[in-house]
Amino acid sequence: MRSRSRLLAPAARGVLACAWLAACGDPAQPGDTDPGVIVDPASVEVAPGPPVTRRLTNAQYVRAVHALFGPDITVPAEIEPELRVDGQKAVGAGVTVISPRGVERYEQAAFNIAKQALSEEYRAGWLPCDLTAADCPRTALEQVGLRAWRRPLTEAELDALTGLVDAARAALGDPVEAMQFGLAGLLQSPYFLMRPEIGADPAAGATDLTAWELATRLAFLLWDAPPDQALLDAAASGALLTPDGLDAEAIRMLDDPRARDGVRAWFADWLALDKLDSLEKDAALFIHMSDRVGPAAREETLRTIEDLVFEQDTDLRTMYTTRRTFIDRTLAAIYGIKAPERDGFGEASFPEGSDRVGILGQVAYLANHSHSTSTSPTLRGAFLRESLLCQVVPDPPAGVNTAIPEASEEAPTLRDRVEAHMNVEGCAACHTLFDPMGLAMERFDGLGVYRETENGAPIDASGELDGVQVTGLTDLAQAMADHPAVPICTVEQLSRRALGRRPTEAEEPAVEALVQAYAARGHRLKPLLLDLVQTQAFRRVDPSQAVESTPESGDAAGTGGAE
Amino acid sequence: MTRAQHQLTRRTMLRGLFGGAAVSVMLPPFESLFGLTRPAAAALSPDGFPIRFGLYVWGNGVNTPTWTPAATGADWVPTGQLAPLAGHKSRLAVVTGYEVRVANVIPHYSTLSAMITGRPPAGTDGNESMGGPTIDQVLGQEIGGDTRFRTLETGVRVRQPVSHNDAWAPNPSEVDPAALFERLFGVGFRAPGDDTPPDPRIGLRRSVLDVVTDQARDLAGKLNPADKRRLEQHLDGVRELELRLARLLEDPPDLEACVRPSEPASATDRSDPFVLNNEVADLLVMALACDQTRVFSHVFSTSLDNHVYTGTDAGHHRLTHDEPGDQPQVEAIVTQIMTGFSSFLDKLAAIPEGEGTLLDNCCILGTSDVSLGKTHSADEYPIVIAGGAGGRIAVGQHVRSTRRENASDVTLTLARAVGANLPSWGTGDMRSTTTVSALEA
Repeated sequence: MRSRSRLLAPAARGVLACAWLAACGDPAQPGDTDPGVIVDPASVEVAPGPPVTRRLTNAQYVRAVHALFGPDITVPAEIEPELRVDGQKAVGAGVTVISPRGVERYEQAAFNIAKQALSEEYRAGWLPCDLTAADCPRTALEQVGLRAWRRPLTEAELDALTGLVDAARAALGDPVEAMQFGLAGLLQSPYFLMRPEIGADPAAGATDLTAWELATRLAFLLWDAPPDQALLDAAASGALLTPDGLDAEAIRMLDDPRARDGVRAWFADWLALDKLDSLEKDAALFIHMSDRVGPAAREETLRTIEDLVFEQDTDLRTMYTTRRTFIDRTLAAIYGIKAPERDGFGEASFPEGSDRVGILGQVAYLANHSHSTSTSPTLRGAFLRESLLCQVVPDPPAGVNTAIPEASEEAPTLRDRVEAHMNVEGCAACHTLFDPMGLAMERFDGLGVYRETENGAPIDASGELDGVQVTGLTDLAQAMADHPAVPICTVEQLSRRALGRRPTEAEEPAVEALVQAYAARGHRLKPLLLDLVQTQAFRRVDPSQAVESTPESGDAAGTGGAE
Repeated sequence: MTRAQHQLTRRTMLRGLFGGAAVSVMLPPFESLFGLTRPAAAALSPDGFPIRFGLYVWGNGVNTPTWTPAATGADWVPTGQLAPLAGHKSRLAVVTGYEVRVANVIPHYSTLSAMITGRPPAGTDGNESMGGPTIDQVLGQEIGGDTRFRTLETGVRVRQPVSHNDAWAPNPSEVDPAALFERLFGVGFRAPGDDTPPDPRIGLRRSVLDVVTDQARDLAGKLNPADKRRLEQHLDGVRELELRLARLLEDPPDLEACVRPSEPASATDRSDPFVLNNEVADLLVMALACDQTRVFSHVFSTSLDNHVYTGTDAGHHRLTHDEPGDQPQVEAIVTQIMTGFSSFLDKLAAIPEGEGTLLDNCCILGTSDVSLGKTHSADEYPIVIAGGAGGRIAVGQHVRSTRRENASDVTLTLARAVGANLPSWGTGDMRSTTTVSALEA
């Protein structure tokens, strides 16, 4: 992969040359733009990147069905596996395809959903007419089709779907059951299961998105859900295609409670919080471990973010330094603080002066990036490097024995054992990139419980982040909050989610302007979202471009396929 | 490698693999998707039964120092980890000494991708994909077309999909016996001799798929090339489902051993993976006996699986790395896994087919994601072949490479034995054009 960005090079974008960063300790600098001049991101002319037709994620599929037929419809939650690409499932959704098994499951789900939607219980909520009337199926399909496909259906499309209902009615007799086949045709369609992006004038090369496509991008970015009627109306009238109209819709949507779904979905994806569902910890070593820990930990981190974005509307970097949190009894026991509520979650504080602070001090991060029996300074550090600083860390070299020595009297703590491992030739060059960050958090065990000793020996929590010497998690968290790559990486990650891919090199000026504006507006997420949706990178596409590279391992060797 | 190239791999590969004219049979252009032309007939055993291919995968490797039998050829003695397979000795070929030639950069994943796709994985550690179509999917294209399910994916403890149509195109395994039963033997299934007329809804569902296909073709014409290729792969899946429904409208194949199995009991305690393995295997074996599928992948467990096995004091994956010395506990776990494999083979051997059994007409590649779990090593790769592919594979022996030959040679041998005339298997160092002559009957 080439290093392509003035802004993010050297550290924030390129593959780190292992020994290099350790030697130089050179953090990312916010480029050579003048911080005194803030450019409106909307005004930056860029050649847009390629469109991406994304599959609905499992969560988006559920939300889309609920938006059509009502929130109580039972929808299968995990139809197709999701893969992270470039650190986000939101990007993987534009890379993966629907498997043959998935096609079968979507078919099954479509009929199952259609049957429920047509039951007397739910019919009244969406069906505009009596199905025994001759023109009702077409009218109903036209109305529900607009919301399902997020654009008006053509006459030919409506003819084909109505034809299914007519054929079914002829064969089965029952007009209600017959309608299932029309709905199943809507719900199995690639226009429902995917978010096609073609552009208003694809033959022209660079082109605006259509108003419908823009509405769809906007809704899935801000709500992780399809457009509602008001947004579809703004698309239909063309208001959405004006800067003011787009701004008005984005402001309305950010004020809507569904914006919390969007922010939560992004952070859950970016911070890999879905992995907490399969958290495996050795119950003999971690007495607090239970099936409740993973989901509760995810909720804590998401509530913390939600509070910073919506209640406080404050600097997002505060997520590293805040002592305010939201916990239930399960987590209170792990933190050794009083549960704020008997049932469910309530606001609490990590004690002043303790080493626990921010999302790095929460179970979600500490436990997710540990082994089942111990901490892992490597996993903890590598996640900071890759996901929160946007630096690409190389894979371990081929055939290396990754086992570290057993704890012993000579090496009682993990630091001692890792240091022994570091003496193995070839390991140290890379491990110095992330282990010193991870070792600063060693006062928190593999589940996140605070401790001062390991195997009877005192824990040394000294570490380093790009030249800043730290002792303990609180120090490290402050160093992260101060790190110039953190806001850059936040904008980069949000751009990936918005576009369904990495921003292209040509789009980089828009991203740079966003970073500047983000800083100027106090690193707050809502203004960043409002700025982002106005950029040409968000509003325009160039169908003639190919999607740029995703980070690869040895796959390049396989180019060309079998012979 | 660009994403566009990612998307190309499967079709490029198939085009290359099957060469020239055969392509139009394997992957028809859009215009003929619903012509329902059947692919070339699959290979048959001498007494006329179809030859089936299976992939049987378990996670975390074996204890390599004691895995390899001392004697080679027909005189090998199943001991230690292989002892549970003794009852099937005459139907097995244990293959040792072969090496998976991959840059081993993603522990567990590089080696598995190399073994079952012949390619390095795509992506990076933690966000990875198989590097291309897995052997079951490639063979499904070749020999699976006559049946209701071109391939079937089942499993027990599956953390991540093993079978892939291509990089980033995983096929999840069905691990729920009730869902598997419904899929195989539920609505629409008719056992031999069942002459109830097919449900009219099946034809209506096919009509819906026709309409969906028209929508997708219309859309594909407007998308950029990368997205278009992804949509075409989706359409392949729609076409498969359509074919599956079409099979239900035909009279069921007249196979003596085929009966509708009993529905899995909902109250069964499935915390023991071997209990679940038996339930899933019962359904899978009957699907094979009823000729609902000829190609399967069954995933007993996957990489990093941490189940705590009977008689051990920690999770499987943890023990592979942390158990000191000769790793007797790891060895005991692998022995249990082989016992489960043996039970699976028992079920196949219990189905009579002509003079022999269903197992005799299978060719099952049993393998893992690494060789020695402790070091994630890629040499001395564990390979157990079960069933003789209707007399096309020389079983009842231990075949050993003393020159660390390419594990892709074994895969290529099996592919050709079941009737897929692949000119080569794998890319780069993994590429093979050579079969293992000792395995060829």
